[in-house]
Amino acid sequence: MKHSGPRNKVLHDSDSTIPVSLESAPPRTSTPRPPAVQPAGRRRRTGVVLGLVLAGAALGFLLFPGQEHLTAPGTMNTGHEQVACANCHQRAPGTVRQQLQADARYVLGMREAPADFGLRGVSNDDCLACHERPFDRHPVFRFTEPRFAEARKALAPHHCQSCHREHSGARVTVQAGYCVNCHATLEMKNDPLNIPHVELVSQGRWLTCLGCHDFHGNHVMDSRSRVADGVAARQIQKYFEGGVSPYPPQLRKPARQERADRDN
Amino acid sequence: MTTRALLAFTLVALLAGIYLFVNAPQALPDAAVTSGKKLSARDVLEICAAENATVRELYTKNIVEPGLKAGLKFDEKWREPTVDAGPLPALFLRETAKSLAKGPTRLGLFLGSDAPISKANQFTGLQAEAFQQMRRDRAPRHFFMDDVKANTAMFPDVAVAKACVDCHNRHVDTPKRDWKVGDLMGATTWTLAASNLSLTEALDMIAALRNGFRDTYVAYIERTKKFSSPPEIGKKWPSEGYYLPDPDSFMEEAERRMSRTTLDRLLSHR
Repeated sequence: MKHSGPRNKVLHDSDSTIPVSLESAPPRTSTPRPPAVQPAGRRRRTGVVLGLVLAGAALGFLLFPGQEHLTAPGTMNTGHEQVACANCHQRAPGTVRQQLQADARYVLGMREAPADFGLRGVSNDDCLACHERPFDRHPVFRFTEPRFAEARKALAPHHCQSCHREHSGARVTVQAGYCVNCHATLEMKNDPLNIPHVELVSQGRWLTCLGCHDFHGNHVMDSRSRVADGVAARQIQKYFEGGVSPYPPQLRKPARQERADRDN
Repeated sequence: MTTRALLAFTLVALLAGIYLFVNAPQALPDAAVTSGKKLSARDVLEICAAENATVRELYTKNIVEPGLKAGLKFDEKWREPTVDAGPLPALFLRETAKSLAKGPTRLGLFLGSDAPISKANQFTGLQAEAFQQMRRDRAPRHFFMDDVKANTAMFPDVAVAKACVDCHNRHVDTPKRDWKVGDLMGATTWTLAASNLSLTEALDMIAALRNGFRDTYVAYIERTKKFSSPPEIGKKWPSEGYYLPDPDSFMEEAERRMSRTTLDRLLSHR
């Protein structure tokens, strides 16, 4: 065999860094080789295994039914304290493998839409499964009409979560005064108010709106003729933050205690 | 060691490839893709708008107009417990739209005008521009709403009966008091968050729309049962007196009027 390089080239074993010569390798003696795994390495390996076991146990504990409050991103909103996670967080269709396959295909451009993994995203349908009301003054679907494009940009009122962000420990998570997004040109021919609506609008008194009109129209309320008789903005703010309702207690349709699937 | 890592990686990649791409389980249906014959959003919206126009005309001409003569009332506040009235034609449409919103159809329906009774129904922006063009030729207008990714169509809403113009002309909040039968009073706007639909999906959508008509009419009939003087519900129509057809009779007549046109349109897309 022909050698093209120096015959006494010294090689370095990447692990042990022991010099090796092709021709002048000393005969093997009884000098013991260093152990394959150093005690430090063994300890490291034990640590890794122990860590994995502990992490698995912790994960198992967190995933165990009844521990959901530990993984929730925040306090449930007012009125939702007793709502079970599964009422909103529904299982996505398909098995884990089907979901992974669908998403892998989507990433590689073999499928047009991704698939939900594990749980499907929470949508308006999940809210309306308990809160749907035929007389809702501001049903979310109405805001998908083209003329609400600016309002959608400013407030996204076509999603329940835009104003009722869950896990916030509140009731309404948007600031009062949002009526300005759609009602800035409001005028009434036969205005019953002591300060006409058009005047309130021109003065930018948007915090007075909710004093007489609850947004979804679910509270049984008499119409008022004096702005001063409306619910004060301060009380409404507290109500938004999760406080007691300043509106009359009678509701036209209380929320369902259990979801009703809307497409059945 | 490098060889071992490479082997391990290859093995893991192979297993992952089998797990992810070998179709042992049935692949999840791709919601964005339809198979077989497809109809465009435009085709489906035209079919839905035609069905809606037929039902509105039936409700206006065969329920509201003769009903008013027979003693029935129709009011904006028809859902109030103290009001013994049925929904006005515009509200019949609004109720149908609510019913549609409940289902998984991704179909939206709205009514508006450039001279609405309620300012909340005033066209602005894209709809105002499209409606101005519609005033010239009365042709439908199609456009795409980018922010909600919806194909959108507007169809003319014409005063088909004297009851429409009379009510609008004498309404206390109307901005216009000289409406005439045949006038273009407004437009329906339809939105559909899909580009193409399979024939099955299109049929499901039409079925959902018809369910919406039925739901609305059923809500009206349920309301009449609490009137101080309830009309007789059965096979008779208000043209014969203080009667209302039951939901099956109403829908049977609606379907008789709608189905032929719808079938022709569906077959024309084969």
